[in-house]
Amino acid sequence: MENKRPIVEMRNISKTFGSTRALKGVDFTVMHGEVHALLGRNGAGKSTLVSTMSGLVASDTGTIRIADTEVVANGQPYAAKIRDDIAHVQQTPQLFNLLTVAENLFLENPSVQKRFGLVSHNRMRTQARALLEKWNMDIRAEALAGELGAGTRQLLEIMKALSRGVPVIILDEPTAALSNAEKHLLFEQVKALKALGISFIYISHHLDEVFEVADTVTILRDGLVVKEREAVGNLNVELIADLMMGEKTARSVRSDHTRYDAPALLRAIGVGIYPVAELGVDFQVQPGEIVALAGPVGGGKEALAMMLAGQLTPYKGKITGADGSLPTIGLVPTDRHASGYVGMLGVRENVAIGGLDLLSGRLGFINREKEASHVGHLATQTNVIASSLEQAVSQLSGGNQQKVVFARALCHNPQVVVALSPTRGVDVGAKEQLYALLRDLASKGLGVVVVSDEEDEIAQLANRVVIVFEGKLVAELRGDYTMKDLILRMEGVI
Amino acid sequence: MSSANPTKGAKLQSSGPTRMQAFGSAFVSGGYTMYPVLLALVVLGAIVAPRFATSTNLINILEQVSVLGLTTIGLTFVVLIGRLDLSLEGVVGFAPMFAAVCLVPAAAGGFGIELPSWLGLFIALGVAGLIGVFNGFMVVRVGLNPFISTLGLLVLLRGGVLIVSNGRSIYSPGPALTYLGSAKLFGLPVSVLVFGLVALIVGLVFKYHRYGRALYAIGGNEDAARAAGINVDRVIWSAFVFAALLAGLAGVLMTGRLDSAVTTQGQGIIFSAFAAAVIGGVSLGGGRGTMVGLVSGVLLIGVINNLLTLAQVPSFYVQASTGAVIIIAAVLTTIASRRSSGVKTRT
Ligand SMILES: Nc1ncnc2c1ncn2[C@@H]1O[C@H](COP(=O)(O)OP(=O)(O)OP(=O)(O)O)[C@@H](O)[C@H]1O
Ligand SMILES: [Mg+2]
Repeated sequence: MENKRPIVEMRNISKTFGSTRALKGVDFTVMHGEVHALLGRNGAGKSTLVSTMSGLVASDTGTIRIADTEVVANGQPYAAKIRDDIAHVQQTPQLFNLLTVAENLFLENPSVQKRFGLVSHNRMRTQARALLEKWNMDIRAEALAGELGAGTRQLLEIMKALSRGVPVIILDEPTAALSNAEKHLLFEQVKALKALGISFIYISHHLDEVFEVADTVTILRDGLVVKEREAVGNLNVELIADLMMGEKTARSVRSDHTRYDAPALLRAIGVGIYPVAELGVDFQVQPGEIVALAGPVGGGKEALAMMLAGQLTPYKGKITGADGSLPTIGLVPTDRHASGYVGMLGVRENVAIGGLDLLSGRLGFINREKEASHVGHLATQTNVIASSLEQAVSQLSGGNQQKVVFARALCHNPQVVVALSPTRGVDVGAKEQLYALLRDLASKGLGVVVVSDEEDEIAQLANRVVIVFEGKLVAELRGDYTMKDLILRMEGVI
Repeated sequence: MSSANPTKGAKLQSSGPTRMQAFGSAFVSGGYTMYPVLLALVVLGAIVAPRFATSTNLINILEQVSVLGLTTIGLTFVVLIGRLDLSLEGVVGFAPMFAAVCLVPAAAGGFGIELPSWLGLFIALGVAGLIGVFNGFMVVRVGLNPFISTLGLLVLLRGGVLIVSNGRSIYSPGPALTYLGSAKLFGLPVSVLVFGLVALIVGLVFKYHRYGRALYAIGGNEDAARAAGINVDRVIWSAFVFAALLAGLAGVLMTGRLDSAVTTQGQGIIFSAFAAAVIGGVSLGGGRGTMVGLVSGVLLIGVINNLLTLAQVPSFYVQASTGAVIIIAAVLTTIASRRSSGVKTRT
């Protein structure tokens, strides 16, 4: 076989956006049947590199060869030439909300096309059902994509890419929105396809996943390769983290600032998470406390958090604050693309909309100095990397967009922060910085509610863990729980 | 490693082209794109039509665009949040007409209630405001698509004008209603001053007020605005009210200028308002647009109309050429903004 020859060869790739040099002459090689992890901190250029590979973004210089197609890049679009060789699952969701699951899966897929450009809906539906079955997914092929949850949508997108029959598949942070169960489903499929000789480029900030699926690792920093094609066996998590960040990152541990004697900051009294639940749940957040809500997808942890944040009305019961009035709440919503940031506005404006009344003087005009200093301070605290505070958030790297959303949630000097998957897409170093920030805020008496699927994140942050399942609070861990306790509880209900 | 800290790469870049680029995109995003075109037209006009560059004519242009200008500002409130309001055209006709029939005696076509004349302005704006409240209600509470609900209302208001006026225009509806559109102050028509003042205040609000920030945020991503704690429904509702109030004011200016409430008043103005907004760089998708740009769109339409009239283009051709110019100008704005914002948005 021709397996000796790489399936992807990229030489001297560079890309400049305005004043940002995202890639500065990068070489990248992928072999047949290999899962190649592409790692690097937020803004390192990972998404840009894979986008030049799939033609989504045209490289300014260099050459790209995928299978038998060769492209000499000069900044002009070349996506059409290589689209039959490569599939790209982007970091931002690209499904059509108003099309059905089947239509989304087989859009443009030759296997359902008839003569004269007509599409066979029958074939499309049967194939979609078969595919959904293969992936063990319990959704109708006729459901609209817009009605599905974030994890399911992400899976659909991956399925679509994997079923196109191309030799190279890019997965850009595919697991960011997936639950643990969904993650394993994905890994199984990836391994199966790999056995057939398909190659993957795999981007993730979860380093443990890299050791689970990847064979080879390439690390980028500031648009340059700092480690090329290293076998996974020669690396460990600390080493990768240090190479990514260019400095030591220490893993921090949780600390407890809970003020048990103070009145609760926020209280849910008899709150119905589901319309049918006969018993409401009681829940409260103390000043200084970091509580994690965990449990399976659809179990109600996100709904409860959104109710606490005042974004959803409980089916029954009520949410109150210490003295009957609600505290100010900063919210980090789950899906940053859908409800996190305003893409066309700059970093400054995005952060400022979280606290407009705080930043404006009498008559409601924004105090520009106060805005600049407050936003600048928050952006530093959350480690947002942008070419300036005026850069449009749609142009930031995925992880930096998430940090902007985080900064916005803090803009109002909230008394309670409700954060759903707060570090999704954020690199290991910045994660530590955000954790430290939350701990620091807690030590000053702020209450924090974190919704997370990641054991590590919970263990590093939460003084109390509440497992939400089927609309009820089924278990609780406090104080000195161990990682083992946590994993047992979190998996115990699935 | 912090915010606003250019990476090493950014520092390595020579500042020449970058500075030009930065200037270019600031120029476009600030809404100045059309000013060179406007300037060119004025120079051209001064050369080909000697009567063009006289102060009387220039003031005349300003006076003519003030009605369109106020309507366009109103429209921009709703367009910025990604909605639209076709009924503004109806408001321009209906609000002053309703006020007029409340004022004049039955013999002159009024209701016969002959309210005191000083109430005129308040009635007109009150009616306009109520229409705005209705529009907001339909969009926010009932959840109608504003295209349909305001289209329906537009047709309804056109009929309404004929009903309340019995199909006849009303002459001399009284000083309170006509002052703004007919009087002069410091040698300038009051209508021009009103337009200038409104443009200034609303421009400041768009740019520096928390309300303006909320408009842009909602237009850019409504769900994100909600999650950030903005009371989205209230902002949407109020945008419809402001839009209608400004259209009502525009109608009052028009009535003042003609010293009568005409049954066909305002017809077709919504098209010019959309054109002015788009030429001025206001995105119909919401979230983008500036007062500086909007005003350039309004002025451009005014200057073109004036030039075509002065050049004695037969009136049938005036309308067609205005349309053609609108398309050309829109193409220019689009190209300029695409050039300046460079690459498409991404992950
Ligand atoms: N359209 C764009 N316009 C301007 N700058 C851009 C654009 N797209 C990316 N950049 C910049 O290029 C750099 C690399 O971004 P990229 O998205 O490749 O990072 P990444 O490695 O994928 O990071 P993350 O882990 O956060 O997703 C960043 O500094 C980003 O701000
Ligand atoms: Mg990325």
